[in-house]
Amino acid sequence: MPEVLKAPLVVEFPFTRSLGPVQSAFLTGLRERVVLGVRTTDGRTLVPPVEYDPVTADEIRDLVEVAPTGTVTTWAWNHEPRRGQPLGTPFAWVLVKLDGADTALLHALDAPGPDAVRTGMRVRVRWATERSGAITDIACFEPYDGAPGELTGHDGRFGDMVTGIVAPARLDYVYSPGRAQSAYIASLSERRTVGERCPSCRKVYVPPKGACPTCGVATSEQVEVGPRGTVTTYCIVNIKAKNLDIEVPYVYAHIALDGAGLALHGRIGGIPYDEVRMGLRVEPVWSEGGRHPDHYRPTGEPDADYETYKEML
Amino acid sequence: MRTVRDIAVVAFGQTDHRRTSDELSEVEMLLPVLHDVLDRTGLQTSDIGFTCSGSTDYLAGRAFSFTMALDGVGAWPPISESHVEMDGAWALYEAWTKLLTGDADTALVYAYGKSSPGSVRDVLTRQLDPYYVAPLWPDSVALAALQAQALIDAGETDELALASVAARSRSSATANSHAQLRGSVPQGDYLVRPLRTGDCPPIGDGAAAVILAAGDRARELCERPAWIRGIDHRIEAHSLGVRDLTDSPSTRLAAERAGAFERPVDTAELHAPFTSQEVVLRKALRLDDSVRINPSGGALAANPVMAAGLIRIGEAAARVHRGESDRALAHATSGPCLQQNLVAVLEGDAR
Ligand SMILES: [Zn+2]
Repeated sequence: MPEVLKAPLVVEFPFTRSLGPVQSAFLTGLRERVVLGVRTTDGRTLVPPVEYDPVTADEIRDLVEVAPTGTVTTWAWNHEPRRGQPLGTPFAWVLVKLDGADTALLHALDAPGPDAVRTGMRVRVRWATERSGAITDIACFEPYDGAPGELTGHDGRFGDMVTGIVAPARLDYVYSPGRAQSAYIASLSERRTVGERCPSCRKVYVPPKGACPTCGVATSEQVEVGPRGTVTTYCIVNIKAKNLDIEVPYVYAHIALDGAGLALHGRIGGIPYDEVRMGLRVEPVWSEGGRHPDHYRPTGEPDADYETYKEML
Repeated sequence: MRTVRDIAVVAFGQTDHRRTSDELSEVEMLLPVLHDVLDRTGLQTSDIGFTCSGSTDYLAGRAFSFTMALDGVGAWPPISESHVEMDGAWALYEAWTKLLTGDADTALVYAYGKSSPGSVRDVLTRQLDPYYVAPLWPDSVALAALQAQALIDAGETDELALASVAARSRSSATANSHAQLRGSVPQGDYLVRPLRTGDCPPIGDGAAAVILAAGDRARELCERPAWIRGIDHRIEAHSLGVRDLTDSPSTRLAAERAGAFERPVDTAELHAPFTSQEVVLRKALRLDDSVRINPSGGALAANPVMAAGLIRIGEAAARVHRGESDRALAHATSGPCLQQNLVAVLEGDAR
């Protein structure tokens, strides 16, 4: 069995999200150093505010300012901050009920150590120096010994409302393709194409995924296929792909390698694009150091009979 | 709970749960489990009326891994099939409703999770409120720790009591050859205080599968079917600061709707990945010391994310199959701090 292949994989997206009217007012408020809640029909004030009452599902729009000071309702000491978290030094996660609010907001509390934190302690918002209309406009909370903070008297109507946020998300993985695909990739490095045969229906899968989707059984018998094959169908690509240095138009084809039970795909070269046809016999062309065929070119053999590949269309 | 058809769990299988499974793709990990439950019932894939699975591509960072996993069930030519981006317990709920309609008499339910390629603590932050919470990247242990501290402040538990939940779970798991953490496991240092490593579930890879069957079909396929007497799931507000973290009204309501309080159960399989969550669930489900809690070791012994809830139903059913339980409760959870909860009540015929 070849050694297990592994490679780093980063999945990263900048999610762009639009905001409802209440979220928009709240996040714009943070930018202006004002904390807004929303009043429910039964008179509770929710901070952070939401568009709909979590109990009654009523649409709620009645904004009300609360103080930037409050009380810790529960906490947890995080001695090892992780990427993306509000502080890079050890801190406490806290739920804080701001003065004037009936619900608690999750954030970080900057404190010297766990002995300095307790449920019921008083805290206040530490504003980020650069604010854009995001929950991170609150840099964190800090211990505070005093009465409820001053209100600004703001009604939640701002000149330049924040209407959306961009939330970058990044997750890091170490990808391993599994037994069947590892074996496939390992043989490609020797310029061989090795599929796997289904023990039940005898079909040879290339590339192999480890299971036959028709029979629902594991495949394991390795079968070398090709190197020659037949174009079963194709298309002509006329639009240049980003980061791809291939002159258009070119032909992208499904190719059934000799001995394979289904077609894989690849580019066809070494022949004018308008002369490629179904049944054309081709062979792989490897580039120096390439880990898979760069493209396939005609072998010069007579075209394959339609009957020989029609099941693989 | 009265239903139009009697539906039972007739077979359950699971992998050994391990810290890594680099040498296997998802479908390669899943296949032996699928064949295990088919073999137990003598069914072939083509005999299955409905297939439903639970998984999430975020765990291993493989887009459309759930469609590739379908290769394992013989999905071509096309079969009647569905998928939930949730724990497999919710896939079982969907399959149960499908069987209730009479459209199918048998269903295959499976779930798998490969946490080893990524960092599951960070991956799970992506399920949180994307406006107010996810940008702060609070990981799953941190959120559970906030709940644990709230319970300690309320006088409902303390660190010693939490350690005893951990010890009991891993000691029970010595009888479970599939478990990842068994026997004496040190309580360890704080991961996020007040939770220590021992209060947290192991991180690992694994899969599980269950076969459901209706009425006489169930009796043909299994000597002592585990009849689903009731099943229900409920969810709470998504904002943690709105909820009372020391209680689980959604669990209580689901249990009520599933008929859990009509008669005492002898066994309960609770999906409590953190020791502190067992404290909340015992209270919500009114489980006293006469009930055997998590004889499998529970999620503290093996926690393949997306499958651990389905495994609770499977473990409870397997005890009914073996005659070790007559009436068992199974619970599954999803989301931070027990946000969403499913409760099923399983019974065996009188012996
Ligand atoms: Zn086959």
